[in-house]
Amino acid sequence: MNNIQIAIIGAGPAGLSAALELKKLGYDDLVVFEREDEAGGTPRHCGHLGFGMFEFKRVLSGPNYAKKLAKLAIDSGINIKLKSTLTKIENGVLTFSTPDGVKQYTPTCTLLTLGARETPRPDRLVSGTRSPDIITTGTLQRFAYLQKIKPFDRAVIVGSEIVSFSAIMSAKHAGIKIEAIIEEKDEIDTFCIIKYLVKYLLKIPVLTNTKLKNINGKDKKVTSVTVSSNEGEKEIPCDGVIFTGQFIPESSIMQKSFDDFNLSNNSLYISQNFQAKNDSFFVAGNALRGALAAFKCYFEGKKVAKSIHDFIRFKHEPELIKIEVDENISWYYPSMIDLKSPTKQHLTALRLKKREKGAIKVLLNGRMVYKKNIHAFPFMSTNIPWKDIELKPKDVIKLEFVRD
Amino acid sequence: MEYINLNNLFPLRSSNFAKDEVFDVAVIGAGVVGTAIFKEFCEQGAKTVLVEKANDILDGASKGNSAILHTGFDAPPDTLEHECIQRGYEEYMKIKDDYNLPFLNTKALVVAWNDEQLGKLNAILKKGLGNGVKELDLLTHEQIIKREPNLSLDAKGAILVHGESLIDPWSAPLAYVKKGINCGGKTAFSHEVQDGSFNGKYWELKTSQKSINAKVVINAAGLYGDIVDKIKGTQDFKIIPRKGQFVIFDETAYNLINSIILPVPTKRTKGVVITKTAFGNILVGPTAEDQESRTDSQTVKETLEDLKNKAFHMLPSLKNHKVTATFAGLRPASDETFYRVSINNDKNWITAGGIRSTGLTSSLGLAKHIFELHDTRYEKNPKADEKVTVPNISEFAPRDNQKEGYGKIVCHCECVTEREIKNACHGELGAGNVGGLKRRTRAMMGRCQGFNCEAAVTQICKNEVENHE
Repeated sequence: MNNIQIAIIGAGPAGLSAALELKKLGYDDLVVFEREDEAGGTPRHCGHLGFGMFEFKRVLSGPNYAKKLAKLAIDSGINIKLKSTLTKIENGVLTFSTPDGVKQYTPTCTLLTLGARETPRPDRLVSGTRSPDIITTGTLQRFAYLQKIKPFDRAVIVGSEIVSFSAIMSAKHAGIKIEAIIEEKDEIDTFCIIKYLVKYLLKIPVLTNTKLKNINGKDKKVTSVTVSSNEGEKEIPCDGVIFTGQFIPESSIMQKSFDDFNLSNNSLYISQNFQAKNDSFFVAGNALRGALAAFKCYFEGKKVAKSIHDFIRFKHEPELIKIEVDENISWYYPSMIDLKSPTKQHLTALRLKKREKGAIKVLLNGRMVYKKNIHAFPFMSTNIPWKDIELKPKDVIKLEFVRD
Repeated sequence: MEYINLNNLFPLRSSNFAKDEVFDVAVIGAGVVGTAIFKEFCEQGAKTVLVEKANDILDGASKGNSAILHTGFDAPPDTLEHECIQRGYEEYMKIKDDYNLPFLNTKALVVAWNDEQLGKLNAILKKGLGNGVKELDLLTHEQIIKREPNLSLDAKGAILVHGESLIDPWSAPLAYVKKGINCGGKTAFSHEVQDGSFNGKYWELKTSQKSINAKVVINAAGLYGDIVDKIKGTQDFKIIPRKGQFVIFDETAYNLINSIILPVPTKRTKGVVITKTAFGNILVGPTAEDQESRTDSQTVKETLEDLKNKAFHMLPSLKNHKVTATFAGLRPASDETFYRVSINNDKNWITAGGIRSTGLTSSLGLAKHIFELHDTRYEKNPKADEKVTVPNISEFAPRDNQKEGYGKIVCHCECVTEREIKNACHGELGAGNVGGLKRRTRAMMGRCQGFNCEAAVTQICKNEVENHE
């Protein structure tokens, strides 16, 4: 059993930036655990440019950004334990599988920066054949940028969140032809300009209002997909299918280990200082909700480091109120308010599942105390300010979206 | 960039015996039944070859099932199926420790969800006792809820079947083949039997590779059992493939139930089961859909939704968990409900056909039964009592990631190590295709379905296959 002061699980942008900040604040008894064999997290396999502008004032590719972040951490003497997989959280003991055997730690404080993953085919309940050629963007990126492998020749992309653009670029890098992008909704799930870029510059058909009906194939090989729209059904020949987006936190270990799992966020209930009900646990970055850009995780890492610093210095008894939401909301943070927290952040950021017009209402003990009209896009956040709403212990807060 | 596809990575296998070799026995089909028969005949001293059209074991019906070791409490009384289930169960208990095979006695509840089903429980109890399954208890609503607090309050009553247990449906047949090979048995994968002729002394089986000679042929060809049976001249039964779709829920749901939740069966099928698996998740299924095709194991969205809803009705909190995998298996049901086991002494031909969903449990018993039918004495193989073990991939015993020196964990969801994947690529019984790799290691079978590891697994397998050619 190893006693350490701070354990950080996950060496991605959030975890490493938190580690750097804590180190700066003078914390030396700190270990970052990473299950992969190198630090850096998801940017390691995002081969395209667009990283580091806000953090380092430079435009970097994902892999270079990951390298830079990892180097900063290593150079400042942060202890990163690679190939260490967290398998169990029980009574304050963290159990890891490592190539040197099973290891246990009892940190005073644990930060979970576990990242997120895309929803693969099974949880979407898609009809058709099974095949290793039905993958996600993350898989494709790892094929193209980490292993330098082209897994198939021509593919269909399912979903149109911003990440599907990354899927196109990864496919291009690997020499895979994209036959079409399929989106069930009537508009693509990201900024409109992307659609025109894809359609006219890359000459890839963007099929909105189109459902994936069946993945056809045999002997574990994909031969085509059947899609349906108002114009009827059609078959698109392809030998690969890439499901994109619908990110969810890599949170199974939270759901297994804690009794206050938040099903809307697929993460723990977390207060404005990134703290769970079990107050020695903190969660930040994509492990809080679906995927955000790396720089947002990076800055969140800095914030959570300050919260951990405050927690260690002025340990206080939290006074928590949970915030519940309805089914229109895809994620929200914070999901609890700690009335006694020194962090006086008075905003809850939320996103809707679909593009909608309507109003967000705050119900306090069943009574509406705040209303905000919004035109929401699934890729943009709306903030709910708490500063004008007086909250007392045992209040019940619910956020609702009402369509126009 | 180099094109590498997991489907094309594993080289087709040839066989390592002379063309003019005459075997005592050729077993056609390397499913759970064929592998168990292969083991039995090899141990008994018969010179045996296992002939399989796919490039690996378990490529047909045996790859998709609910992984339960049944007691036979609801088997048709006094049938061969009933006898083989109970003999198979006993035999599994005898050998499991030697082979390092998992076993978890979770017990099962046959739950009545309405008054009509409640009325049937007594008959099921009586049938179970009549079948020689003594450890059965009738439970009241209160007793069910005490045992299974997450189950819907609609559960009216149940029978607790103490013997029903979980096993690993993939490692067991692997162990059977390994044992057969250890006793000198030969294998011929990617040898599709196309035709055959009998010269009064032995059969010459024409395959997609070389011909195979054997004095006796045992047809355990599962979904193709009726087609292979035609080779002997007469066809006594017809296979009607029965598709069963399944939904697997994430390991987060594992502790929602303690026992296997069985429905009150209908004439046709055991119905939708909710059970834990040896791999630490929750399985819901199967459906029972008769079809013509012997290969079409596609899943259907609406059916999967229906399965989920049925499961949510029985176990409401399952709603809070993600689906890890969906798949369909094909059972080799025949035009009758009973096993189609017969011997043709004029033709030196034994048929083990129509072995439906109970094959996983019954196979070891069926293998003994078929050896008795065969009624020929051999000199027992000197290695028959030697132990062979297979790697444990279940959650019931320490796995490779708990033993140091494994390199790294490659598949994070299922905690599969680099060492496990490399080992699964090697040897006479190494993976022959991507399904075989998954069934030997669990790689890519978890909640992320390869998001994290598929590319790395592909690379490792490519290197292993190339380095050992």
